[in-house]
Amino acid sequence: MKDIIRAKCLLSSDVETLINQQIKKEAHSSAIYLSMASWCNRNGYDFSSDYFFKQAEEERMHQLKFYKYILDMGGTAISPDITNIKIEYNSFREVFEEALDQEISVTQSIKNIAARCHKEQDYVTLEFLNWFFREQREEEYKARRALELFDVIGEEGTGRWQIDKHVGQIKYESEA
Amino acid sequence: MQDLVILPSINFTEVFNTNKGAIYQSDSENCWYIDFAGKLARFDYRNLLKLKKAVYQIDIENLLLNSTKAPDLEIIFICACDHCYVLSILEIIALKELLQGTFVMLELNHIIFDRLHRIVA
Ligand SMILES: [Fe+2]
Ligand SMILES: [Fe+2]
Repeated sequence: MKDIIRAKCLLSSDVETLINQQIKKEAHSSAIYLSMASWCNRNGYDFSSDYFFKQAEEERMHQLKFYKYILDMGGTAISPDITNIKIEYNSFREVFEEALDQEISVTQSIKNIAARCHKEQDYVTLEFLNWFFREQREEEYKARRALELFDVIGEEGTGRWQIDKHVGQIKYESEA
Repeated sequence: MQDLVILPSINFTEVFNTNKGAIYQSDSENCWYIDFAGKLARFDYRNLLKLKKAVYQIDIENLLLNSTKAPDLEIIFICACDHCYVLSILEIIALKELLQGTFVMLELNHIIFDRLHRIVA
């Protein structure tokens, strides 16, 4: 008897489901960042608004990367529906706190996919995921650095104006 | 003119059976035939996965506990597939059992393939 399923698809259905959930998560991240860009813009934080616009685009790119991977593997990529994106934030700082939370949650969720791949000996997907682990290192670094500006500069006086200016300059240039 | 009936020479391999039905694989057609609820239906790879998903998603416990629902029938309709099942709760349980057994056997077949033909020992 032929091994038809293996010939049709390189992914197990469990890994495929996890990656589809990740696609939704990346799409969700993208929508959240877009909302943050809007809030920052409305409240006069132009540099931060640009920063979040860029983040939103990157998340969209991540989503497509996972999406195309499933298709390349012979699986079914599912276009997610995203709802419940909040519009208002209580403070400038809260925006960055939630941005960091979001990145941490993404990293954890990709780690969970990798754990599943190890269990199934799906080295093909593991190799694909490596790109994302590098990316998450950068994403968490940037989100953490942004939040640290609130402590380093302080919010008093023209503090928020200074913080906003510096957010635009955060870069990850590690050699590690 | 003479009516010529040409029967295709299809080789079926039985993948799994229960006393309620059976699933066969056709290597030449790359598909499966499900003998269940009084009919023989052909499923390709995509449709078999869709059927599996549709059946596994049914909340059987909820159907059993929910006494208000008048007809105890569930319609399993699969997009872009010619077949549709209208099943009672007992039939759903039976179909689920049949599919579960089938996927275990297919997985086993995959492992055997790996061991015998693919992995260099
Ligand atoms: Fe991402
Ligand atoms: Fe990110």
